[in-house]
Amino acid sequence: MSRNLRWSALVLGMLGTAGALALHWMVFFWVPTERTMGVVQRIFYIHVPAAWVAFMAFGIVALASVGYLWLKDERLDRAAVSAAEGGMVFTSVVLLTGPLWGKVAWGTWWTWEPRLTLTLLLWFIYLGYFLVRSATENPERGKRFAAVVGIVGALDIPLIHVSVQFFRSLHPPPVVLKPEGPTLDSEMLVTLFVGLGAFTLLFFSFFLFRYGLEYARNQMVRRGTPSEVPGLSGGLS
Amino acid sequence: MKKLLVWTAALGVLWLVPWGEVVAQTAGGATSPLAGQSLRGYTHMFVAYFIAWALIFGWVISIALRLGRLERNLKG
Repeated sequence: MSRNLRWSALVLGMLGTAGALALHWMVFFWVPTERTMGVVQRIFYIHVPAAWVAFMAFGIVALASVGYLWLKDERLDRAAVSAAEGGMVFTSVVLLTGPLWGKVAWGTWWTWEPRLTLTLLLWFIYLGYFLVRSATENPERGKRFAAVVGIVGALDIPLIHVSVQFFRSLHPPPVVLKPEGPTLDSEMLVTLFVGLGAFTLLFFSFFLFRYGLEYARNQMVRRGTPSEVPGLSGGLS
Repeated sequence: MKKLLVWTAALGVLWLVPWGEVVAQTAGGATSPLAGQSLRGYTHMFVAYFIAWALIFGWVISIALRLGRLERNLKG
């Protein structure tokens, strides 16, 4: 991993950590408690940033995959696989924190309503991304197939966003991204934006480290010692 | 990569510090700033925060371990 990449990742990580510490202080000591749901509504401040980062990560996967299929540049494939792994982690955060909130707010851990179902589908699509990558004998072919899955999977993201408007849904509609502007209390909005910033910075820090890992893996393969390369196909190994 | 692991562990400890105070506050009754507010489902909230950070730290540690192993192999 190059010195510049490592330093960039460390600086982003430190800024993200400072943001996350500020977020926790705000969540537990500053932001007002929501009237009807009580303290459990504070899950919102990690649930929404995790969803934002997951969608951004899969957006990066789709863009990098289009670039990879077009230009055949290995760096774009490395970026795609690094972002996909982060996207899986943050989608898992969304899928695990949501039911904990839903159990108190809705009285059920899970319901097969459009937004929840499409988010679960997104998680499985990107699981498929890693399976396709490692399922072919020819690694280059696996990368190309995975790039197609990465692009198709990203089409699910706008569907998730509009699902609460087009279908009858238990999930609440957007409170920030609305044509008439956010309808959140100002302190809640500030806390949410601190969360979005902190999660974004942390994601890019870990993304750079993960990119460095993929680079080192490629170097190892070029040296001709694939047996020593952990998770050669670039999966979640 | 040892440095990254040490940093991750240190940050993990830092994360726990405000939690202790919140637990003390939620258990503190009438003197607590949260007194009178709805504490319905506060265990769910703590579990949600724990799971979120466990997954994120787990990912960082996994990257650090894999990268460390590869860099050792590349040097060796």
